[in-house]
Amino acid sequence: MGFARDAGWALAALAVFIGLEFIGLRSAGFVDFVIRFATFGLLALSLNLLIGTAGLVSFGHAAYFGMGAYAFGLLMQTGQWSIPAAILAALAATALLALVVGALCVRLSEIYFAFLTLAFQMLLYSVILSWISLTGGDQGLMGGIPKPVFLGIDLARQEHLAAFGIFCLLVSAVILRQVLRSPFGAALRMLRDNPDRAAFVGLSVFRYRLAAFVIAGTFAGLAGVLMSLYVSGAFPTFAFWTTSGEAIFMIMLGGVSVFLGPLVGTAIFLMLNDWITALTEHHGLFLGAILLVIVLGLRKGLLDVIVEHWRARKEKQP
Amino acid sequence: MSDSTKAGLRRRGLLGAAGATAAITGFPRLGFTQPRQPIKVGVPTILSGRVAQLGISSRNAMQIEVDAFNAAGGLDGRPIELVVRDSRGTPAEAARLAREMITSEGCEFLLDAEASGGGFAVHEVVRETGTVTLHINSETSSLTADPRQRFWNAFRVARQGVHDSIAGGHYAAQVARQRNLRRWMTISPDYAYGRDTTAEFVEFARSFNSDIQVTGETWPRLFQPDYTENITRLSQGRPQAIYSCLWAGDLVTFVEQASIFGLFAQSQFFAVNMADYTTLQQVRNLPRGVHSGNRYLKNFPDVPGNLAFANEYNRRFNVFPTNWSWQAATGVRLLTTALRQVGGTDPRAVAAKLKGMTIESPFGAEGSVTMRAEDQTLVGYAIGWGTTVSQDPFVENMQKADWAMILRLEAEWKRAKGWG
Amino acid sequence: MELTELTECVTSLSCVVTQVAAGLTIGMLLFLVASGLTLIFGVLGLVNFAHGSFYMMGAYFALAAYGVTNSFAMAVLAGTLGAALLGLLFERFLLSRIYGQDVLMQLLVCYGIILILDDVVKIVWGADFRSMGVPDAFRQPPFLIGGGIIPYFYAILFGITALIAAGLAYGMGRTRFGRTVRAAAINPGMVGALGINTTIIYAAVFAIGAGLAGAAGALSAPIRSVVAGAGVSILIESFIVTVIGGMGSIGGALAASIILGLTRSFGSIGFPLFVEGAMFVIMALVLILRPSGLGGRRG
Repeated sequence: MGFARDAGWALAALAVFIGLEFIGLRSAGFVDFVIRFATFGLLALSLNLLIGTAGLVSFGHAAYFGMGAYAFGLLMQTGQWSIPAAILAALAATALLALVVGALCVRLSEIYFAFLTLAFQMLLYSVILSWISLTGGDQGLMGGIPKPVFLGIDLARQEHLAAFGIFCLLVSAVILRQVLRSPFGAALRMLRDNPDRAAFVGLSVFRYRLAAFVIAGTFAGLAGVLMSLYVSGAFPTFAFWTTSGEAIFMIMLGGVSVFLGPLVGTAIFLMLNDWITALTEHHGLFLGAILLVIVLGLRKGLLDVIVEHWRARKEKQP
Repeated sequence: MSDSTKAGLRRRGLLGAAGATAAITGFPRLGFTQPRQPIKVGVPTILSGRVAQLGISSRNAMQIEVDAFNAAGGLDGRPIELVVRDSRGTPAEAARLAREMITSEGCEFLLDAEASGGGFAVHEVVRETGTVTLHINSETSSLTADPRQRFWNAFRVARQGVHDSIAGGHYAAQVARQRNLRRWMTISPDYAYGRDTTAEFVEFARSFNSDIQVTGETWPRLFQPDYTENITRLSQGRPQAIYSCLWAGDLVTFVEQASIFGLFAQSQFFAVNMADYTTLQQVRNLPRGVHSGNRYLKNFPDVPGNLAFANEYNRRFNVFPTNWSWQAATGVRLLTTALRQVGGTDPRAVAAKLKGMTIESPFGAEGSVTMRAEDQTLVGYAIGWGTTVSQDPFVENMQKADWAMILRLEAEWKRAKGWG
Repeated sequence: MELTELTECVTSLSCVVTQVAAGLTIGMLLFLVASGLTLIFGVLGLVNFAHGSFYMMGAYFALAAYGVTNSFAMAVLAGTLGAALLGLLFERFLLSRIYGQDVLMQLLVCYGIILILDDVVKIVWGADFRSMGVPDAFRQPPFLIGGGIIPYFYAILFGITALIAAGLAYGMGRTRFGRTVRAAAINPGMVGALGINTTIIYAAVFAIGAGLAGAAGALSAPIRSVVAGAGVSILIESFIVTVIGGMGSIGGALAASIILGLTRSFGSIGFPLFVEGAMFVIMALVLILRPSGLGGRRG
């Protein structure tokens, strides 16, 4: 069965990460990288459900990232919630937001969709900035996020947080992959490739796309939770358009057609980002140029190119 | 709020540099001896986007001070090396950079030059790592005033919102009394700094002069490109005086637009953030008589050291320093003084020395500034208000604020907040 | 809500004059940016996410030209032509390579160009915000009509933007070029079959659209500070205008711009804390009630 195999791979991957952490590679730099990889990897992976599978190019995915982070942070700061309960509640809040925005946006043609999601994200950003009594405005949620120990897991320790992040990423990846394989996933692909036929068969474009939008938003919310744990706070830039832009960049680097492409893209993006930041203060110039070269040169993600190349070679061989 | 359950303060190995090289002091600093291991100081800041000037003018000032320190022999021959990185204003990047500077690049100290959001993110990182950190650009009062934010290794070397508001409120109350200004309106950016600073200013102004009435407010969003609708709103309200804590480009836009509406002919204007050179020099038609607090002025305090700093800065970078520059320079001076007095880089010893330290400073109200021990924030720096003129020196009739009054009212304010 | 103040305002002539004049001027500047966006969309079927960057570049070009010539007319001309030329290069060398590809590609190319231009202006003009200041010739006392205030320079701005709008309407409606462009928007294949070079039309339309954004940037340079990254907030508002007006409809964009301008000016009196929100509410209402927009083609 697909599920058993995916789950097996996920378990193996988790074991490798934890093993890496405990032998040798325990440096703080590595642990930090793993946490950021889990966070942004999850964000990119969830966005790819919209872009790659459903063909809905959202430029406002960071709204749900921000929503997850703020909802989680605010709940934890009350001191009344355990971490798992707060995560579930934060995801519910994010799903609700995605439902409202999605209901307005998914009916529209793809171009409207791209910038309406952008516009709603900027609205959320403005709300976070001005609702100071709740969000702390531009200073973010201050005072740190308490991280009570649960099930022996102490997220205040970076190594625990890294393993927890990878765990969340892998669980989400397994779930998302099941979603793609299900009839629901097949329907989304049909809506992307041939909406007329799908409507003819009797699929409700609106309901399927809205469901995809909510699922993607919810997983982005989980990424936001990880982010707020990492920086011990939540900040308006989480919901700023640049965060969405970066997520799309990651997907582009990896590729949209391969399931794990966004994760490869995330790893490349993070390394690229760290390298450019250390090298120059003209971050945008370098990143923008690299982006243009890839988009105009390859016209698809790196992994897409490699996979196509590999398939072509396999076909050539008798 | 429960205190974070961090398992003690984990201090990471500092590459053994401090101990190893300190042991061989006494060798002459020439010949074939290896250059001393530099003391690395990490500077997470913003070098791009709308507030790039924040990072650039902080870095410039630090470089001047660090060069002077190194030229004078450093710490027993160990020079300071600045590691400056651009977070682009993203708190997550600021947190990452801070952590990376500490763990991977071997920075022993941080001069955090982030704006408030990134500053709080760095604050949380060093709360965990126990790295001695001087915040040089975060003016948000709660960073040090709120006891929950306080821990042994974080200091603020910047002006503080509440100090500015007391000084500004006092000055405004006086002017209001002389000119009988009763009807006030405010225009400030709609984010935490704008809201807090405006509320505090109004509170203190009214406490000095109860005739002051705020009859209307307007809150443009941060970085709003156009203020026409806010200006027509102000103009409808016909206030006698207007207060604003808009800053930099936003303040310039507002002043340009408001002056063609003739708003300043109708009302006195109090802009706490006007007197900074980047702002003063960019307003093409600076109206005469705008009341402003000093951000940075080369002639306030009017002492040779201040003028020398401004000229040296101008010689090297071809512009005048900003408010962020004097704060950055003061941060380096405090740190280097503490290092020399300790004679090493042990974080506990340096932090203990910084606590309560007073150094001579051309930016001090009375020739010195103090790192107040109780809440680890800078006091005694020069605050004053004056009125603008269109040419250099741009601001005249500076009135120096009285620190005894500021400290007294600050203590009351803290008690009222439950932070006393 | 401060409804009493709003009622007071709409019943007083001075307040109405001031607010309407301010709203119209803001609206017309917005229209210049949005009309370029909607024109490009209508003809090229492409959402130019980098449109705000042309606004920004227009302002910087104007600033540079004003520094050399000290003439506002030259500054506006330089801003418009500079942005148009930049748009032309952008379309020819980058965008034209991805026609027919999905929205993701368009988005990424625009994203790349936003990143690059923001850094380029920082390298060329410095990291700090800049300001042109209102030229001395326009520093006249404001007009007072019925007690309302209309700044001299705003009247000038309104005049220039209205002229440009009229020129645009004439160009699109009455000239051969305009008819071809409109035909290309509806059926590019047919226009191509008639022997008209769509490549040139696309390039010209993009240049005009970028030039309009550049003109708005240049015209507002005297009263708004010029700064890297200024494009994005303008972009969002022009998007909202485009949605309300209907994608591709210039008449709709004009109506929507003026509605938003007036919403801003009266909103700042009647519901000061909900001005931004109100724009989004209007947009959501349009999307629900009339998804193709005020002037959009149904379907």
